This record gives sequence, structure tokens and C-alpha cells, in this order.
Amino acid sequence: MTARQRADRRAGLAFAAPAMLALGALAAYPALWVLWLSLQQRVPIFGIARFVGLDHFLFLAGDARFWNAVRVTLVFTLASVALELALGVAVALALQRQRTGRRLALSLLLLGWALPSVVTAKLFEWLYHPSAGLVNVVLGGHAINWLGDPRLALPALVAADVWRTMPFVALLCYARLLTIPVEVYEAARVDGAGRAATLRSITLPLLRPILLVALLFRTLDALRAFDLMFVLTGGGPANTTETLTVYAYRSLFQTLQLGFGAAIGVVVFALVMAVAWGYLRALRGAGVAA
Amino acid sequence: MRRRLRAWDAAVLLLLAAWATPFFWQLRTSFTPDVELLTTDRAVPAHPTLIHYRAVVDRSVMPRALLNSLGVASITTLLAIALGLPAAYALARLPVPGKGLLLLAVVASTAFPQITTVSPLYLLLRALGLRDTWTALVLADTSFALPLLMWLLAGFIRDIPLELEEAAFLDGAGRVAVVRRVILPLVAPGVASAALLTFLAAWNEFLFAFTFTATEASRTVPVALALFPGVFEVPWGDIAAASMLAALPPIVIVVALQRWLVRGLVAGALKE
Amino acid sequence: MIRLAGLLLALAALLGGCAEPPGAPGPITIVFKHAKILGPLDPIPGLLREFERRHPGVVVRSEPLSWTSDEQHQFFVINLDGRTPSFDVLLLDVIWVPEFAQAGWLLDLSPWVTPEELAPHFPAAVAAATWGHGVWGLPWNMNVGVLYYRRDLLGKYGLTAPRTWEALVEQAARVRAGERDGRLDGVLWQGKQYEGLVVNTLEHFWASGTSLLGDDGRVLPDPERAAAALGFMRGLLQRGVSPGWVTAGDEELTRRPFGDGRAVFVRSWPYALDLFEAPDSPVRGRVGIAAVPGHAGGAAGAGATGGFHLAVNRRTRHADAAVALVRFLASDYGQRAIAAPGVALYPTRVALYHDAAAVRAHPGMPRFHDLALAARPRPVTPYYLMMSTTLQPEFSAALVGVKRPEQAVAYARRRLEYLLSGLR
Repeated sequence: MTARQRADRRAGLAFAAPAMLALGALAAYPALWVLWLSLQQRVPIFGIARFVGLDHFLFLAGDARFWNAVRVTLVFTLASVALELALGVAVALALQRQRTGRRLALSLLLLGWALPSVVTAKLFEWLYHPSAGLVNVVLGGHAINWLGDPRLALPALVAADVWRTMPFVALLCYARLLTIPVEVYEAARVDGAGRAATLRSITLPLLRPILLVALLFRTLDALRAFDLMFVLTGGGPANTTETLTVYAYRSLFQTLQLGFGAAIGVVVFALVMAVAWGYLRALRGAGVAA
Repeated sequence: MRRRLRAWDAAVLLLLAAWATPFFWQLRTSFTPDVELLTTDRAVPAHPTLIHYRAVVDRSVMPRALLNSLGVASITTLLAIALGLPAAYALARLPVPGKGLLLLAVVASTAFPQITTVSPLYLLLRALGLRDTWTALVLADTSFALPLLMWLLAGFIRDIPLELEEAAFLDGAGRVAVVRRVILPLVAPGVASAALLTFLAAWNEFLFAFTFTATEASRTVPVALALFPGVFEVPWGDIAAASMLAALPPIVIVVALQRWLVRGLVAGALKE
Repeated sequence: MIRLAGLLLALAALLGGCAEPPGAPGPITIVFKHAKILGPLDPIPGLLREFERRHPGVVVRSEPLSWTSDEQHQFFVINLDGRTPSFDVLLLDVIWVPEFAQAGWLLDLSPWVTPEELAPHFPAAVAAATWGHGVWGLPWNMNVGVLYYRRDLLGKYGLTAPRTWEALVEQAARVRAGERDGRLDGVLWQGKQYEGLVVNTLEHFWASGTSLLGDDGRVLPDPERAAAALGFMRGLLQRGVSPGWVTAGDEELTRRPFGDGRAVFVRSWPYALDLFEAPDSPVRGRVGIAAVPGHAGGAAGAGATGGFHLAVNRRTRHADAAVALVRFLASDYGQRAIAAPGVALYPTRVALYHDAAAVRAHPGMPRFHDLALAARPRPVTPYYLMMSTTLQPEFSAALVGVKRPEQAVAYARRRLEYLLSGLR
């Protein structure tokens, strides 16, 4: 190794060390700690800290509320992501053909995305108000109890989430569409391809890589989502909108059952990591990753 | 041809304005007096009023919460840049031992669910006696802001052609000087974009702030909004006004700083 | 670059320190953390000023919390566990006192408070305050679940207050048929997924002859009766005796429609009477007070007791001042302020319930006194909150029809037994 290379190695370590130490303390260490916590019954307010091994996980395996939370999480994720992608692509295609007023269009689009999720939750809580909410007024004045009816609360939640996250997908697709050279479309037109055929054979395939990336990001985000459901419905009514994250939070901080809540947190972690790993393998297979 | 396109433009704008209706409805609510709140037959209130804003500014904890959020988000962003920029450069350019693993760790950290790390962080902050301080929130937010920023900046740095640095080396400059003279000016717009995204993420952050702040003195905006006190009925007008105030920095970023925001968002996804 | 980073870190540390609550040179400041007071008048500011007048050198800063019981509890749990004494005196729901005492968060007031000082208060309130060995708080206000009814409507059909829920259902049907008012509801009660639901459900349990904890400490010792009680509550919704939105109803959401004359019965707390008898209330002078009904073939009805206690944070830096405030607020003077006209709170000093001035201001007091003595407390145990937060979603699921009552009860038992297994 040359002196230069040794100097580079030293510089590299010096440059990277502070950040890696910070990450180690703030991200890696807690991730390991939570695994340890999940094996304990830890109730700090009563001074209880004892090792229980896999008891929490065994309980969860037979816990109806846990499986309900899994179901709610998966339904929420699938519905939300599917709608976001479909609407996002549509909006991106619409934006692509726009000539003037792009900045205004993007402002209107990104507004919902940029808002804090608590603001969005309050927004929709008001929209879903049984008597004064805009949704019921527009639908003809029926006092539909969106957030109180166990059959309607989850769709209402999904709608709020899609409103918030569709802009991100739309923006990604739009940016990708902008990079497609005009000649490609002209060539297609010369070949006699109609609009639908162009969409199917040219635009969508070119969008596919970015859609897969968006799918990955959005799926991971939806699996970890917490703010919106916690503030909008609190997991109710009757736990019909209680995702794994809300279940974990309630177990953790309503009674400081840290061990039990950590176990649920570990499940969320495993789920997210498994999905991420699966997707990345699929992406690599599709030749998208660098 | 031009006329057809303009109709399309107008249609798209109308559609997007319709999509943004929830926001505009809340804006309308914030100016609507209580008596008119439950009647929704008008788009614009008959007697718009500032009473809700006055209530929020004078009698609620929002002003203090805005200050707290501003402080926490700014410091988190600055800290993330201070730590993340050199590390991003190192991961992009320098032979750091175990680089592949480190990069993987950084990317994985961006996917950590907050609900998983909140309980050990709670115990950690409790042991350090840091509850109810800006420091606690800055540390907690850094746990997700830092990897995000590092990943974005590494991508931007990799975009800078290697030849520029090589040329500077040939001129006899040392590594640090090269970074300062060549890299920093070129990566500055990328840093701006990444900083905006980080600021936005820290401003909007709710779970950590809800768990780690105790008193109104250190509460951030999302928490203050979530815990907005109602006495008899829910004060929809006041909440709407508070929501608008909470949304101010995000709106400013989306409208005025749009270019950098978009660049940051897109870069994060188009690069691997 | 590294110097810049160091500078920024120092800046961060500095600013972080700036967010600490200000120290207190000068007068002692004690912080009083309490729920927002419902009702027309808030007695606390006046009381605090009087206390400051009697104790020069002490300033009391009052910080209200959201009035939802669960939110307050979470706030206290998260903050008291963090060990920073950012407040000195707390207003605690009576169900939290044993929990906080066991957690070691409350200052034992025994060195300051004698048994004689506790004697004038309702026994149920004192029992919660003296859980275990020690005095953890002083009772401040008393609550008891009651049934309000429209005396005028019942009288029109020759009815008197129902003693059982079954009679109530019949009476509601008769009145509604007679009045032919589609907007008149039968009975309103708190069915939202929160502590209030557990209170309502416990009252039905007691009326059915069962309870939450058996004498041996077993959870839900009689699941069939418990499921039947839950089934009855669901039945009220299915048969339309109660409107569907009751499953999202809390105290305020159910008080208003009754106060606007749109319901025949409402199960609520004493504070509501002051609002019903307010000068501009549509039901002024037409509201009767009755005990919470029992179930036919079961037990007599008993309301649940509730209320708030004053306690001191064990880590307070100003113990004497804080204890003095607590004793002042719980004293005869302090409680008379609660019994004043316009304040919708009820004191815990038994004697005040027959005091001429108090009764003039609150004509319902003698009635509430009798009902309070016949009422039952929720289980006085440190694990009550843990049990309640586990039960809430189950009871709610049974009410909205997501689960059958038997399933809800079985699940609640299993989960509670698991959670409590390592604790007792």
C-alpha cells in the first residue's frame, strides 16, 4: 500500500467515524437492545425486570389481537400502496403532458405530502365528521359515522393515507417520465401506435424500474405507519384500525409494559426487514440495482 | 394545438386543486366562526374571522411549540450534515474498511421502524436524564435523519466526476483541501435538498416527540396539535388554525423551495 | 470540517440545555398539574390565589391537561417515570392512586396528615387514598354514576324512576311511542372505547351480580354473567333503545343531547346536573336523579364511584409548600369553593352535602350523598389501569358487534391472566 493509500484509509476512517459512532449509539445499539427487552417482562413503574425467554412471542402467536393487528397492517399496506401507485402513475401521466403552470401543479400536488401526518389526521377527522364533515355533505347529507363504524374506519384511514402519499409516487414517476426523450414517442407515432399502445409498450415498461423502487419505499413506509392511525382513530373502533405499530405503542406506553411491547416491535422490525430483503432480491433480479 | 394544450393544463390544475381540497377546507375552517362551523353550504364563510388564530396564538401552547419544533428540526439538520457529509464523502470516495457492510448498515437504518427503537431509546434517554429536553429529541431524530442524509449525499457526491478531484490532487492539494475547494461547492445544492428533506422529516416527526416530551415547554408542533385541549366540544376552528400554523414551514418548502425539494426526493429514488 | 462539526455539536448541547425549565430564584414556585375542569365555573384559579395570599413567598402555577382520563394517565406515567420533578402537586383520578403509590411516585403524606383529617371524607375516597400503608393523597372531588331522567316525560305517563334496566327499556318505549318524536332517544350512556366504557360495563356487571375481580383476586370469575351483561348493553343498541353513535359517546357527547331535550334517560355523573339546571338549559327543572338501575333477577343497581385526589410528586423540591397546597384544597374552605354555585364539582366532605349554603347552590346534593354511600368503587388495585386498557377494546368489540360477548369476555380473561401473571 502506498503512503497515499494509507493516508486515504486514515482520512476515510476519520471522516466516517463520527457518523458511524452516532448511528451505532442511536440506531444499532437500540436495535440490539430491543431484542433483549423482548425477552423480558419489564414493567419499570412496578420495578419488574425478569427474564421470560420467548414467552411474549409464544403468547403473541396465540393472541387474537395480534393476528388482528397483522391483518389490519397487511390490508392497510396492500390497499394503500395499490391505490397510491395507480393514482400516482395516472397523475404523473397527466402532468407529463402539461406545459404551463407546472410549478403551481407541483405545489398543489406536494402540499398533502409535506404536511405533518398529525395535521393530515386532524384534517380528515374534520372531513369525516358525521354532521359537519365535508365528505358527508358532498355525499348528500347522510350522517355516516366514518370513524366510528367498524366497517368504515379502515377504508377511511386508507383514503387519508393515500391522499398523503400519492404525491410522492406521482413525483417519482413524473421525474422519470421527464427523462424519456421525445424522439421515442415520435418514433412510436410514426410507427402508427395509438395512445393506449404507446402507454402499454413504451411508457409503462420505462416506468417499471421506478415503480418498483416506489413500491419498495411505500410498502416499507406503510408497514411502519403509526402517526395517522394513532391520531385519527387511536386504533379504534374496536381495534379495527389497530395496526401492529399502534398495538405495540399502546402496550408500551399505556401501561409501560416494555418487554411485551418490545416483542411486538421486534415483529414489526422482522416484517419490515424481511419485506425489504425480499424486494431487493427481486429488484436485483430485475436488473434495476446498480 | 396551443388551445388544446391550455385546456389540458387547466384541467390538470383543476384536478390537482380538487385533490388538495382537504387542505383548503381546513384553511376555510380556520377562518370560520363557530356559529358557522356546523353549516357547510358555503365554500367561503359568510363572516370570516381571525378569532381562532388569536385563540391559538394567545391562549395555546402553539407559539412555544413552533419554537421548539424550529429548534429541534434545525439542530437535527445541522448535526446530521456535520456528521453525515464527511461520512458520505468517505463512503463514496475513500477506502473505508468494511465499506460494503457499512453502506448496508446505513441503508438498513433508514428502514428501521420507529416503533421498534422507541422503547430502548426511551430507556436510554431516561437513564441519561435527558427527558423533556431538545437534546433528547435531537438525538432521537438523528437516528433516522443521519442515515437518510448520508445516503442522499453519498449519491450526490458520486455524481461528481472523479476527474475534478484528480485534477486538484495533481495540483498538489491535500485531501481536506480537495474536499473544501472541489467537492463542497459542487455538492452544495445537493446538501440543500437533503437538508430540506431532513428538516421536513424532523418537523413532521411525531412518535418520538410524543413519547419523549413531558411538558408544554418542550413539546413540538405535531404533539401540541395532537393534544390540543378541548373543553366541551372539540374546537374544530381552533384546531384548524393550529393546523395551518403547523403546516407553515412545509408549505413554504413546497411552494418557495420546490426545486430543491423535488431534486432531493427524486435523487433519493433514482439512485441506488 | 471537524472543527465545524465540533462547533455545531457544542451549539446543539448548549441550546439543548436552554430548554430546561427555568430555575427559581425568588419565590418558591410549585406547579399544579390538573385536568381541565368541566362546567360553567372553574374554582381553581380563585383557590390558588387565596392559597398564595395565605402563604406569601409561594407562587402556584397551574397547568391544565386534556380532560380525557386516558390521555392524562399516559402523560403522568411517561413523566413521572422519567423522574424529572417538573410538577409538584397532581390531581389524580382515584383509580390511579394505588398504581402511582406502588410505583413510588407519590409522597407519603402520613407525616403531615392525621387520620382525623381523613375522617370527614367519603369512605370510598379514603380507601383509595390509603391503599397499602400510607396516605398517598387527599380526596378532592367525588363522583358517582347516576341515572338522570326526564321527570316531566315520565310523569306524563304516570311513571316513576325505573329500578331495573328492563323497566327502563319499557318506559323508554312507552314514552317514545307516546311522544311520537323520531328524534327522542331512549337512554344515552358512554360506549366509546375508553375508561368510561369500563365504568358503564362494570355497573352492568354489578347489576347482574358479578364483578371484575373475584374475592380471591381471579379475573372475571363469572364469565357467563359478564357476557350476559355485555350482551344486554349490545341489545340496547340493536333494539334502538340507544342510538348507534353511543359507541362513540363520552360524557360530553351524551350530556348535550339529553340537555337539549332529545333523550329520556342518560347515565352520567353529578357534574351534568349543574349544566342541566343552568339558566338557559332547555331541560331546566325537568330532570330527576335516580340510582343506576339493577337487572331483574340480579342485584340492585349501584353506580360506580369516581373522583379526583390531590397528591404530591415524591421528587418535589418543595415538599412543605406542596403538602400545604394539598391540605388547603382538601380543607373545608377549599371544598366549600367547589360546592359554590356555578361549579360543577362535588366535594368529598360528607358534611357539606347537608350544608345549607351548598345545598342551595346544588339542590341535588342530598340525593347524591345517598347515592354515593350506596355506590361501589372500581377495583382498588395498582393494576386497574392495565386491566382497563385491556378490557376497553374487548368491551367495545362486543358493543359494535365485531365479537360476540362470550368471545370478548374469554379473550379478556386470557389476556389479563397473562399480563397479571408475573405481577402478583
